[in-house]
Parts: sequence; structure tokens; C-alpha cells
Amino acid sequence: HETSTRQRKEKEPFEIDFASPLDKKLAETIFTQAASNSAISLPKKDWKSKTRNLLPDDKHFNSKQLLNLFLKPKARLSRRNRFGNKAAMFGNANQQDNNIIPGDMDEAFWAQREPMQNPDQDTVLPTGDYDANFFDDEM
Amino acid sequence: TQISAIFRDAQKTTATHRKLVVNLRKIHEACCYEPTRPNKNSTTEFDESDFNNEFTRCVLRVMPVKKSEGAGEKIIRFIGLFLRHANDKDNELLGEEDADASTMPETPSTRLTTQVMEIILPLLTSKDKFVRYRSTQLISHVINSLDAIDDDLFQKLRHGLLKRIRDKEAMVRSQAVLGLGRLAGNQVESMINSDDSDDDAETGLLEKLLEVLQNDPSAEVRRSLLVNLPILPNTLPYLLERARDQDPATRRAVYSRLLPALGDFRYLSVSMREKLLRWGLRDRDENVRKAAGRLFRERWMEDCAGVNQPEDGEQSATTAPLTMDGLLELLERIDVVNSGVENGVALEAMKGFWEGRPDYRDAVEFDANFWENPTAESIFIARSFNDFCRTEGNGKYEFLVEEKLPVVSDLAKLLDRYLKDLMEVIRRIDSQENAEEDEEEDRAEKEFIVEQLLHIILTLDYSDEVGRRAMFTLLRQTLSIPELPDGITKLTTEALRDICAPNTAGEKEFCSVVLEAVEDVHDTIVDESVIGDGEESFHSARSEVSGDSTPTKKGKRNADNDLNEEEKLQKEVKEIMINMKCLHIVQCMLSHVEGMLQQNDHLVSALKKVIIPAVRSDEALVRERGLVCLGLCALLDRQLAEDNLDLFMHCFNKGRSALQITVLQILTDILNVHGAQLLTENPALLKVYIRALRSGSRSPEVQGVATLAVSKLLLGRVVTDHDASAELLKTLIVAYFDPSTAGNQSVRQALNYFLPVFCYSRAENQELMGSVALDALHALYNVREGLDDDDIDVGDEMASLNTIGACLVDWTDPRKCYTPGIPLDADKKNVNGHVHLDLARDILDKLNSNLSKEEKKVITSLLGKLYVSPTSSEDKIRALYEDISSAVEENLVSDATSRNALYKIHVSLGKIVNQLNEQDKMSRR
Repeated sequence: HETSTRQRKEKEPFEIDFASPLDKKLAETIFTQAASNSAISLPKKDWKSKTRNLLPDDKHFNSKQLLNLFLKPKARLSRRNRFGNKAAMFGNANQQDNNIIPGDMDEAFWAQREPMQNPDQDTVLPTGDYDANFFDDEM
Repeated sequence: TQISAIFRDAQKTTATHRKLVVNLRKIHEACCYEPTRPNKNSTTEFDESDFNNEFTRCVLRVMPVKKSEGAGEKIIRFIGLFLRHANDKDNELLGEEDADASTMPETPSTRLTTQVMEIILPLLTSKDKFVRYRSTQLISHVINSLDAIDDDLFQKLRHGLLKRIRDKEAMVRSQAVLGLGRLAGNQVESMINSDDSDDDAETGLLEKLLEVLQNDPSAEVRRSLLVNLPILPNTLPYLLERARDQDPATRRAVYSRLLPALGDFRYLSVSMREKLLRWGLRDRDENVRKAAGRLFRERWMEDCAGVNQPEDGEQSATTAPLTMDGLLELLERIDVVNSGVENGVALEAMKGFWEGRPDYRDAVEFDANFWENPTAESIFIARSFNDFCRTEGNGKYEFLVEEKLPVVSDLAKLLDRYLKDLMEVIRRIDSQENAEEDEEEDRAEKEFIVEQLLHIILTLDYSDEVGRRAMFTLLRQTLSIPELPDGITKLTTEALRDICAPNTAGEKEFCSVVLEAVEDVHDTIVDESVIGDGEESFHSARSEVSGDSTPTKKGKRNADNDLNEEEKLQKEVKEIMINMKCLHIVQCMLSHVEGMLQQNDHLVSALKKVIIPAVRSDEALVRERGLVCLGLCALLDRQLAEDNLDLFMHCFNKGRSALQITVLQILTDILNVHGAQLLTENPALLKVYIRALRSGSRSPEVQGVATLAVSKLLLGRVVTDHDASAELLKTLIVAYFDPSTAGNQSVRQALNYFLPVFCYSRAENQELMGSVALDALHALYNVREGLDDDDIDVGDEMASLNTIGACLVDWTDPRKCYTPGIPLDADKKNVNGHVHLDLARDILDKLNSNLSKEEKKVITSLLGKLYVSPTSSEDKIRALYEDISSAVEENLVSDATSRNALYKIHVSLGKIVNQLNEQDKMSRR
């Protein structure tokens, strides 16, 4: 039955036949009342929405955050060869860092990303533990 | 008859409606009024009741028409149009005298309207949803088309519609709301006019509709109300709230329909304007962003540029003349001093503005006059224009900058001037006990102006040596001013770094220059004690600096040599402030340094002379800032990082949440830069992360940062050690579903991105997920059990275990994993399915353990959802098949759903095993 109406629709556009008298079946459709009010009503539990249908507070999570260091937001992660990459030009050379669109950072983006490398450097520097008494005044 | 023929034609196109209405009215009049020329044609046989019956019959024919058929709506519009026309004509015939009568005169068309409506009314509660839809649509439409309706009838219609706002079908509700929205508007109007609040029902109506606006589950209904409710002081907050609606199209309607219809946006409060802009321009849906951008650059711009716009708000779209004053006002109206800071919304708004308004792009001028007396708004125009031209359109706007903005040496002069202005205000304020409010405002504006200019300077190209040198000297001097606000210090340092060459030598030069400035700043403490007899007050030292050399009488007055307590305290405060300033400059410097620490003598000496003493300081503020600097140094030197790991962890374990966040950031950066061996070598460090991830109840902010930090470590493949990453991942999964994070959107939103992207980006990640899935599920089972006791509505608080299980299965689905060279959405049939086979094996193991019955049921049901692929290794498939078979034989599971799931995987494995057997036979032959 579903398909037959669709087929007819393709042949000729739907048209209401105003000329012919109301047949019984149609009259029935029109005039049959619902069994009860509740049968045609929204269940009461749906009258109220806990969230008022609002979005949660948007923290504007930006996947680009994942590409930056916390303390040096302008330095990009995994750009190991210092200075090597940067074209030797004066002025602002970091502009192209901003060109990744967060929407492009899907699984393919991460799959193709090189992992971090560990530079190994030998160092002799002041060692830690400087009698730092961090919490004396907090306790 | 002729009537039905007219209806037949009317359903085809609305273009002929006018003509058809006139024709129908002719018939109507012929039936109802005494024929002027009797017996002219046969229609005289046909009287008014015949007409009405035939008309009603035709109306009824529309009732069962489906929503998707355009003919239905056309006829309904035709009916509305006719009734309106007929009413107008009848009233004309009635003449003027009765026009103002308090009771409505009865006319042929009111009789017709009543008859049709009385027939249609009961259909509102028809069993058939389309009949309810059409009848509601018709009644709403008629109510909206007619100026006046008989009161009794009106009450009935209103009552009928009111019931339909709770209809089961969204399409019916949305039509009901359409009719009632207009009524609510009229009602409020008449209440204001007549002041006879004879029934509270009317205000009740508005309240009901507002309730529907907030609560209706269908976005279509909410949207329909949004654009049809009257805009009134008491409805506006509800309407604007829809800017955060869950449905993108509804949010968009706020920007593309409601707000433009609102009239002048300046009626909104400043904070509301800012919020609407921010929400709209940063919406997750592109169309909402576009609509918000357009609203700002067109509608709001015209509101500021236009002269006394007409109230209707419809026209005027692009008619207002171009005016820079208008643009200045627009920026003032969005409070650019506050919304134009970094991460403020004004920058995005203006980016869209320059993009979408080529007329302003061309017309804007930055002549000498412009720079003479800058305001926050004017300088922001320059800054945003500069940003736009340099970053957008792949350089095609860069010529505009060259054409319109001053050259480097001129900008240096401007910076010098604006800085002097700023310092003058700062020193004036500092020299007073209580600054006036407008002086504070003045200071904020001047500070903003300098910042914006520095933002422009940050984008410059320094190929002109003269300009470069001028700028360099100026920036270097600027950095030595101790009173300089931190924001300006930061930008100045950054600009200095850009001026120095981008190589090791340049970095050294940069460090040496900055540290010189630090020394200058530090010397201001010393200077002070040297000046005079060491008893000079704070104020006199200041006036000395500002060159305002009125000899101080104070010094003489206080000549009794003991410093009183207050002055001593003041001196200490000043010392701390200076120390903080020095550390801040060092911190700004370090965040732009990339070379190795011990190859840069300046840095080594800064570490020894400034940073380490700060870390040892008694003053908590100084110590914590010192710690950040130490962290930054540790990024440049692995040994230093290693040596101080214990210190950092100690701070995390003992510190307050703000310090914990700092430490997490330092530690994560260290791991990112130096690799995760530090993590594997220090089990305590992993504990720090786990603790931080679970700290939601104590400090949600720490949990938020920890989530971000761990996401970075896992996605960036910094942490690859199996045990550590498994532990971290498991903790993240639990945090994602744990109801305690429901209120912590930073955690939820970060994980919402992280979890799928992590799993789908690499097969190893999926395997890791598979290996922790059941443990995570178990932990969440316990969480849920814990909830039951507290008698909360568990379903609301937390996703069901089945849903969680389905997520886990989905994340481990091997078909969803990225494979190089194959597009993401391609149908991957021949992918190997080890992950799910392993998961099935884990499930079987758990079924043999002593888990609760309920949990076993949950995990068994997952078996039915797993993907079993013939391309997995034969051994694995056969082994699993055997185990599943014996599980079936042993009746390992008892309930029907679990059995079905088990059978399902049994069958799919069986098929593959049979195929394998066939192949074996073939090859043996």
C-alpha cells in the first residue's frame, strides 16, 4: 500500500479531489475521534525537560590545545629541531602555526602525526632541592 | 459546482489565489444578498446555506491530507485569504456606522466562519494525526488571518488549540503554538490598552507558551514559538535563552530571525550582547556561526550607522550609509575594552566583519588624524584590520596593510607616545590615595591602546634596519619600567624576541637584553634606599622617577630617623612587587626560548641569580612564580627536569588547587619535551596523574587540566609504556561516564573529543582500549552500585551499563580504525578483527570468574555486538570458536538475552570456521 501511493505520486502530482462526494472510508478517517485524550497527548513526563533543552555550558574545547605546550603556548609540540625548521627571516614567523583548523583534527590527523622524539642531552647543571620550603605557611 | 472547481484550482499554486478569492466572493455574494437583477442566472437557486455547506464540504476534504503534501497548505492559506476578504467586503457593505460597535455584527461571512469552525473544532481530537494536524493548522491560520472573531467561537477555538499544545505529535503542537503565539501577543496588547484583567487565563496562556518554549521535546515546536511569540520585556529573556538551544536550527533562528526582528540591538544589555555574540560566533554549528556573523556585521552595524530606522525592522538591510563613526559606536556598544582582549569575542566578530564588508575594508583610512587621538575603539579597528589582512585570504589582503598602515619607524614613535600617555596616568593614579573611577577607566583604555598597538607591532616585518633599530631600543627601554602592566610586558617581550634573529645568536641577544631590563627593574629597590637618607617615602621616590622634581617636604618632616611600621611594610610590599615583576619578565622571556639551557650563559645566570632564590623565598607568591620559571628552565634541560621532579611532585601533593594545576602543566610539558622515561622511572609521577584525574569532587579545575594533560600525553604518543597508558586510559574512561563529572564540562567535552579520536587513529590504541574495557566497565558497575544506595534517579545521573558497553564495543570496532590510504568513511570489509576477538576472549574469562550475575549479563550482551572478521588469524578464530562452543554446551549463561548474544557470535564464528575447513579440504585434494 505504501509503495502504491508512492508510485502514483511519481506519475501525477497529488491532487485533492473536491468534486466527488466524500466516500465512507474518508469520512471515517475524518470523523473518528480519539479513544481518549491521553491517546493523542504527550505523556506528562515529557512536559518538562530537565535541561530546558539547552546545551551544557560550552567550555569551547579546542583540539588545537592538544598541540601546544601549556607553559609555552606559542611553541608547537614535537618541533624538535630547534631553529632548523624556521625559515631564517626576521619578524613574525609563527603565523602558519595557526592554520590548522580544529575540524580537521580527526583520527587521520593523529594517525599521520609523528610521535615525540626524545632528545638525549648530557647536562651538568645545578641539581634540585634548594631547601625550598613550599608549604610552611600553608599548614 | 463552481465552488469545488475553485478549490481544485487553488491547490495548485498560490499565484492565482487573489483572482480565485474574488471569483469565489462573487458567488458568495450572489448567494447571500438580494440579487440586484433577479433571475439573471441559475445560481439564485443556490442560497447561502447551500454555499456554506458546499464550502465546508470542500474544507473537510483537506483534513486528511498528509503534512508532506503542499496542496494541503495551499488550500488552507486560500481558505484564510477568502474568509478575510469576505469579512472585509461584508464590513464594507455594512458601512461605517457600525464599525466601532462593541458587539460584532453578524454577516454572511461570520456565519460562514462559524459554521466551518464548528465543524472543524471536534476534529482537533480526531484519532488520525493528519486530521488533527490539518484542523489545528486551519484554526491557527484563520485566527491569524481574521481581525475579529465572534467571542464565543473565539473562546472555543482558543480552548481547543490550548489542548493541542500537548499533542502527541510534534507537527500538531507546532501548529497549535503558531495560532496561540499570536493570541498571546494580542492579549497582552489588549490588557495594556483596556486594563480589564477579566481573566487571568490570558496571562496564563503566555506562561504556558513560555513553558512549552523551554520544555517541548521537539525543536520544531520550540522554533515555531521562537519566531511567533511577541517580543516583550517579559518574554525576551526566554526567547534569547534559545541561543543555547540543543537544536542548531533553533539557535540559528535566534540569530537569523529573532534578533533581526528585535529592532535596535542597543536595547539589549551590554553583557547580553557580548554573550549572544560569543555564543553565536563560537557555536559548534557552522550555520549558527554564519548567522551570528551576519547579524553583527550587517544588522548591528546598520543599527549604529543608520539614522532613526523604521520600527518594522524588515527593510533597511544594507541601506545605511557607510560611516566610521557607526563602526566606532558598534565597537563601543560591545564594550571592546573588555571584549577585545585575547580570547575575547570582539576579534572574531571583527574578523568576520572585515571579511563580509568589503565596503568598509576599502573605505577605512588610517591617516595622521586617526593616530592623533586614539580611542579603544579606533585602535581596535586598526588592530583587527591588520590581523585580518595579514592572516586571511592567503595574503591577498596584505597590500591593504602596506597601503594603509604606518611603517615600522612611525609605529615606534606612536608606541612611544602612547606609552608615555599611559605611564602618566598610571603614575598619577599611583600617587593618589584613592583614584577616581573615571581615572581608572582612562588607565584601562590607555593600557588597551598600547596593547593593541603592540599586537600590530608583533606582525611586522623588520627588513627596514632603521625602523628595526628604533623599535628595538624602544622596546628594550619599555621593558625596564617596573610599573608596566603584565599584559604589556608580555607583548613587549614577545615583540623583542621577534626583532632578534631567529637563530641561536639571536636568542642569546634576546636573553641578554631582557635580563638587562630585569636588572634595571630590580635596581629600583636599591635606588630607593640610596635616595636621600634612606628615609625617603615611597611617593618621593616615585616623583623622582616621573621627572616631577618638586622637592619633597615630606623627607624633612619625617627626619626622625626611625622608619615607622607602615613605611617598613610598604617597603616590603614594594620589594615583593618588584621581585614579582622581575620573575614575570623572566617567565615571559623563557616562554620564547628554545635553545639548550647550559649553552646560554645568560640563562644559567638567570637561573642561579633570579629563579633559584625565588623558589627558596619565604613569600608564597614569589615562590610559585619562581616555580613556573624553574619549570620553563627544566624544559630546556633534561637533567634539570629530572633533578627537580621530586620538588614538583611535592608541590602537587601538598599544594592548593591553583598550584596543582601549575605543577600538572609543568610536568606534562616536561614529559612532552623530554619523553616519558621520566614517567616510567618514577612510579610516583603516574600516581600524581591518576590522583589528579580523580580529583573531581575536590577540585574540578584540576581534574579538567589533568584530563587535557593526559589526552596530550596519550594522543601525542608521549606515554607509550603499556601499563602506564592502560592505567591512564582506564581512569579517563571511568571519568567520562562517572556521574560526578556530569557537571564538569571541561572534562566531558575534552573526553568527548579524545576517546573516539584516540581509538580510531591507531590499531594499537584500539588494542589498548580493548585491554582495559572490561576493567573500566567493572569500575563503572561499582560506581553505579554506589549510586543505588543514595536513592538518586540513577538513569538521569549516569548512562546505563549497556550503553557504556556499546560505546566500548564501538570504540574498539576495527572497521572504524583509520588505515593509511583508505578514506575514513569507506566500507572496510577486510579489516582484521583481532581487537574484538580478544575482547570476546576477555569476556569469556570474566564469565568464568566470580562477577555478579548482573555484570555478567551486561558483558555477555556485548558478545552479540562484536565484529567477527574472516581475515583475522585462523588460530585465533578457531581457538575462540572452541571456547564459545563449550560455553554454549555448558550453558554458561542462563537468561534468554545472554543466550542469544552467545549464539549469535557462535553462529558467525561457526560460518567462518566452516569456510576454513572447506578451504583446508580443497587444498588437501
